[in-house]
Amino acid sequence: MASAIPTFTKIGKVIRLNKHGCTNRPFYHIVVQKTRDNFDGPVIEQVGSYDAMPNSQNEKLVAVNFERVQYWLAQGAGISNPVAQLLGLSGFLPNHPQTLIQSWKNRREPPRERKLQPIKGIAPPLDNPKI
Amino acid sequence: MFARSSSRIFNVINISCIQSRSARAWVRKPLGSPMAKSKMFRIAPKKFIPADEKAEVKRLYDNYFHQMKSLRHYFFEQSLEQAESGEVAQMKHRLEEEEHIRLMEENRLENEKTAKLREEKLKIQAEKTRENILASLINKEEETRQYEIQIEAFLEKQKATPFIQAENIEKAIEEALANPVDFNFAIDLDGYVYRGRETAIEKIPEEERERLRSN
Repeated sequence: MASAIPTFTKIGKVIRLNKHGCTNRPFYHIVVQKTRDNFDGPVIEQVGSYDAMPNSQNEKLVAVNFERVQYWLAQGAGISNPVAQLLGLSGFLPNHPQTLIQSWKNRREPPRERKLQPIKGIAPPLDNPKI
Repeated sequence: MFARSSSRIFNVINISCIQSRSARAWVRKPLGSPMAKSKMFRIAPKKFIPADEKAEVKRLYDNYFHQMKSLRHYFFEQSLEQAESGEVAQMKHRLEEEEHIRLMEENRLENEKTAKLREEKLKIQAEKTRENILASLINKEEETRQYEIQIEAFLEKQKATPFIQAENIEKAIEEALANPVDFNFAIDLDGYVYRGRETAIEKIPEEERERLRSN
């Protein structure tokens, strides 16, 4: 019964990644913005960060303010795929299909060369640097 | 994500209103231009995905969207509940209550003040109206008295005038016939009466001069 449950109208706001940082060093802000605004335009609220470069412990650090994310989802904001994947991995949302699809593709094919290499010699190297 | 695109006015693309010396940003190939030689006979490669994988992907996405929808509804309801009972709401409620009480108190004091003022005003007004009414009543009495006096005087006057009654009629007729009144006279600005054919008052001797007085 679609009539019993209210449908969400789009409120024109999304939770997505904004790339900051500099050349060869990306750093993403997880941010609530109006859909129309540019990545460098006005931001309603910053709700976390995602560092794509693995640190000295071979970790990619992600920070998320779950309370605010819940608030914005309740208001009807959209989420972009990368952010949805991150939240799925963190456990706040169910696992995104893209995560599962990518994982079985990685198992199937050998990984290709990537610019962003994990730092070797400090932590044990990963089996699949594609992840 | 979204590159800084050039302006798009009236479907004219690839121009910028702001003059800049750096490289022009490319939005799209102009619509009338022909296809490049390298692209003429190109067939875009289409990825082949086996049917079971497709079905699996579809199942995953359907489940995911279903779960996301229900999650959004759940969050929405949570937010409504919190709006009613959360700390912020409680504080707001408490502040509003205090504000309400304070304003009601202020209103009550203000009402008392104005009531007092109003009472005083009304007292003064009542006094005034009472005095007015008394004065008007007295005036009315005075007037009626004056009126009655006037009526009395008028009646006296009327009674005093010599009306010809039924008994006096014959006598009156005889008197009237015996003393005819002649109005054929002239009068000048000083009131002197000219009965005869003289036109100057000096010509008439002193004893026979008549003068009408305007009292």
